[in-house]
Amino acid sequence: MVLKLYAAPQSTASLRVAQVLHEKNVPFEFIPIDLRAKEQKQAQHTEKNPFGQVPYIDDDGFVLYESRAIGRYIALKYAGQGTAGLIPDQSDIKALALFEQAASSEFANFEVHAAKIAYEKLFKVRLGFPTNEEVVKGAIDQLNVKLDVYEGILGKQAYLAGSELTLADLYHIPFGTRLYRAGLGDLIDSRPNVAKWFNSLLARPSWVTIKDGITSTA
Amino acid sequence: MVLKLYGWPKSTCTQRVGMALIEKGVPFEFVMVDLFKGESKTPEYLQKQPFGQVPYIDDDGFTLYESRAIARYIAEKYAAKGTPNLLPIADVRARARFEQAASVEVADFDAFAGRAVFEMVFKPMMGGKSDEAVFQDLITSLSAKLDVYDKILAKQKYMAGNVSLLPLPLPSHPSSSYSTRNKRKLTKRPQEITLADLFHLPYGVLLSTAGSDIMQAKPNVKRWFDDLQSRPSWQAVKDGVKSTV
Repeated sequence: MVLKLYAAPQSTASLRVAQVLHEKNVPFEFIPIDLRAKEQKQAQHTEKNPFGQVPYIDDDGFVLYESRAIGRYIALKYAGQGTAGLIPDQSDIKALALFEQAASSEFANFEVHAAKIAYEKLFKVRLGFPTNEEVVKGAIDQLNVKLDVYEGILGKQAYLAGSELTLADLYHIPFGTRLYRAGLGDLIDSRPNVAKWFNSLLARPSWVTIKDGITSTA
Repeated sequence: MVLKLYGWPKSTCTQRVGMALIEKGVPFEFVMVDLFKGESKTPEYLQKQPFGQVPYIDDDGFTLYESRAIARYIAEKYAAKGTPNLLPIADVRARARFEQAASVEVADFDAFAGRAVFEMVFKPMMGGKSDEAVFQDLITSLSAKLDVYDKILAKQKYMAGNVSLLPLPLPSHPSSSYSTRNKRKLTKRPQEITLADLFHLPYGVLLSTAGSDIMQAKPNVKRWFDDLQSRPSWQAVKDGVKSTV
């Protein structure tokens, strides 16, 4: 049975999963969840994702939520096809540890602040609520500090976990693109190593295919 | 060379690593990094931990930061020692359930509990003024997430659920007409604790210091959290991480 992705076409977490499915050449059926109608809060959905969020997958009866967990599951289950090494093999304990260091950093040092900006300047505005400029400024200040560190790391190695692309890099894309939409692309563009790294991620066919919205491939 | 843990004794992230080391029975030397003297921001320190945070480890020359990454590394490297299966890697589905729980800890617990504790406990230590309204907002959000935790923990003992499938080889029958390949029966072990549960402890415990009893307010969450708090590894680090060598 083909994998089912229950998601919203432009949700950052949904895009995160769709990209990994494309990287690993895993066909999937996309079942759109209507966020505006709050479909994700209805019983049929919360039975599968009790936190009432998108996305979740149903892989032949195996249900999983949390986009980063889903991405990892796909990368491991289909380790032998598509882009190799998205998670280092567990036989290389140090490489795996450096991947986990980068993956932890992605959330703690990047998403935490980028998501605040996206929420205040994009999500709230779309719903007609006022932006809290103080929160935005705080998040920008933090991102400036963190991205200076990224600039240093990416001056010495091509990707965040080392010389190879991993999920830790890819997971930055959805909220990274939202920074541009919020008019703050300069946070990335002003840093040559970060810009080079980020633009290389955006150029990947897996992102180009889904960036304007997820569609079924099966 | 014995593993060195660089951190601040009562830093939540340092405690997180200390717990993992003790669960796995890994001896370590604790090296104090004096945050109030700026020791985590010196050029030498930034060579090891470029974000200028605690903790990091030096395992015989291999340095690693991000407390959850360090704990995973310890659980993986010493898989055969101490508390078993803290990082369930054996089976793709078990590992996925673990990763789901680990992601929930970061996005649905730490995101609110960490900020709530910061607002009321750490901010004043750094000369800032706590904002009660911000704190209450965060607790309200956390409470909604913990309502979901309570539903999950009504059905399973720990957050990752069933994470071990223990293969049991069938006894061999020389007269059997089946092929010589072993047919293996998979059976489930009792539900096991994983890092995804333990990671909740440092900030979870500080919520009451911050002024919220939310971890006691929901029956299954209370049962689960009281169980975590009673573990010797937490008892060993709750008043500050110390060397075990």
